[in-house]
Amino acid sequence: MRPLDPVTSKQRVAYGFAFFVLFVALWSWATLGGHVSKTFLANPLTMVQEGYDLLARQGFLYDIGMTIWRVVGGFALAAIIAVPLGVLMGAYKPVEAFLEPFVSFARYLPASAFIPLLILWAGIGELQKLLVIFIGSVFQVILMVAVTVGATRRDLVEAAYTLGASDRGIIRRVLLPSSAPEIAEILRLVLGWAWTYVIVAELIGSSSGIGHMITDSQALLNTGQIIFGIIVIGLIGLLSDLLFKAFNAWLFPWRLA
Amino acid sequence: MTTLRIEQVSRTFPARHGNAPTRALEPTDLTIGNNDFVTILGPSGCGKSTLLRIVAGLDRPTSGRVTLDGREVTGPGADRGMVFQSYTLFPWLTVRENIAFGLRERGVAQDERNKIADALIRQVGLSGFENHWPKQLSGGMQQRTAIARALANDPKILLLDEPFGALDNQTRALMQEMLLGIWERDQKTVLFVTHDIEEAIFLGSRVIVMSARPGRIKAEINVDLPHPRSYKIKTTPEFVQLKERLVEEIRTEALKVAEHA
Ligand SMILES: Nc1ncnc2c1ncn2[C@@H]1O[C@H](COP(=O)(O)OP(=O)(O)O)[C@@H](O)[C@H]1O
Ligand SMILES: [Mg+2]
Repeated sequence: MRPLDPVTSKQRVAYGFAFFVLFVALWSWATLGGHVSKTFLANPLTMVQEGYDLLARQGFLYDIGMTIWRVVGGFALAAIIAVPLGVLMGAYKPVEAFLEPFVSFARYLPASAFIPLLILWAGIGELQKLLVIFIGSVFQVILMVAVTVGATRRDLVEAAYTLGASDRGIIRRVLLPSSAPEIAEILRLVLGWAWTYVIVAELIGSSSGIGHMITDSQALLNTGQIIFGIIVIGLIGLLSDLLFKAFNAWLFPWRLA
Repeated sequence: MTTLRIEQVSRTFPARHGNAPTRALEPTDLTIGNNDFVTILGPSGCGKSTLLRIVAGLDRPTSGRVTLDGREVTGPGADRGMVFQSYTLFPWLTVRENIAFGLRERGVAQDERNKIADALIRQVGLSGFENHWPKQLSGGMQQRTAIARALANDPKILLLDEPFGALDNQTRALMQEMLLGIWERDQKTVLFVTHDIEEAIFLGSRVIVMSARPGRIKAEINVDLPHPRSYKIKTTPEFVQLKERLVEEIRTEALKVAEHA
């Protein structure tokens, strides 16, 4: 091993996989070896069994579907509003001066703290879950997109002006394409955070979703189910991340060239 | 007919962080006529870029004005093509799309755009690289593309700010010949900034020597070397004589900068 020396892609997969093996091995040793009480932590086999039971007999797939739809719905809503606003803020300094202080303030408001208020306003239906995710994501995306667009290379903007670009042309044909890969990365990052908000939203006043299943299992002290739920969240997160990455690479071939 | 007039143009950058304001350019007069190839020569920091940016409309003069065919320059426009020292190709566009950027902005149809771009690609010697991304090109190829991109708009005047400054000597010599070949064939009006004496003589019909801070025009020298010029001209007695004269001019300026630094 030397600093910054690259690894081959095969090695990369092997190392990544090895950690999961090590993790499960340690977990098995702790639980099956009797070092941790069953009440607090289920062993991997029980977890798999409980997971199968959840999927086959308790309609857990429906819960998973509900959670995914809430994340995607709330996140899409946030993105549709936040990306154009962020672009406007990044491009036009007066808009930025107008909105930035408020957005910076709102960004620190914890989405989970809004849940009681949102239940009051929107009930415990789907709208409330979507709003939690929306509030949790929208300000982050606005601010990060604004910073990215604002940091567009000035020399590219100047080159475009000398080529006869109008102000609209600068936005459409310089600011947007040059920021697009970063914006896609921002969305990927914030989608990850949205997953934590949805679970919190489902822990309180919900009748479906992965978070709801986890609260139910807690009441029954079924740690196997809780862990299975958490692992499912992790797997979906990992999968969506990979898809997002592949999609970005396909969308912006000039970056990798 | 193209006439660029720079009249009493000066530029002072306002004070910042308690520093005194920077007088980058003393009031300067310069007239560039049709099909002129004027090179501006001066040590770094003498206000060459500042002057060129004012002509391009990217910066405003503190006093004076610039007119192109009688119309005052108030901002950047497609009638003045610019090539920068830094690489400014749009990384998300291919070579062909980069060259066609200005045409597309003007609403030229795709077929027409490609025709113009492909002709320019041949002219600057980039055939076979039409669909490459800028990242895949060498520095010299990127600047060829940048020149083609500026030419695609068929500007009245081409402004170049040390476009070959970052290239190695061999590539730079080839690029100079290519640019001169385009000028000899198409008779463009060109304003070319450089700190390289040979480059200034080889390319220019007139060399404007600028003095060190604050920048102003110190001398103007006609280059009566015949066209078409090839690299061989760089070793003729006439060329060497001009070079000696300019070396003296520039040396005194460079010394002044060194004393102040
Ligand atoms: N935007 C700016 N703000 C303040 N000072 C500047 C700015 N641009 C250039 N200058 C100063 O003006 C002087 C001339 O700069 P420039 O025109 O870039 O010189 P050159 O291109 O001949 O090397 C330098 O002293 C530089 O530091
Ligand atoms: Mg310069």
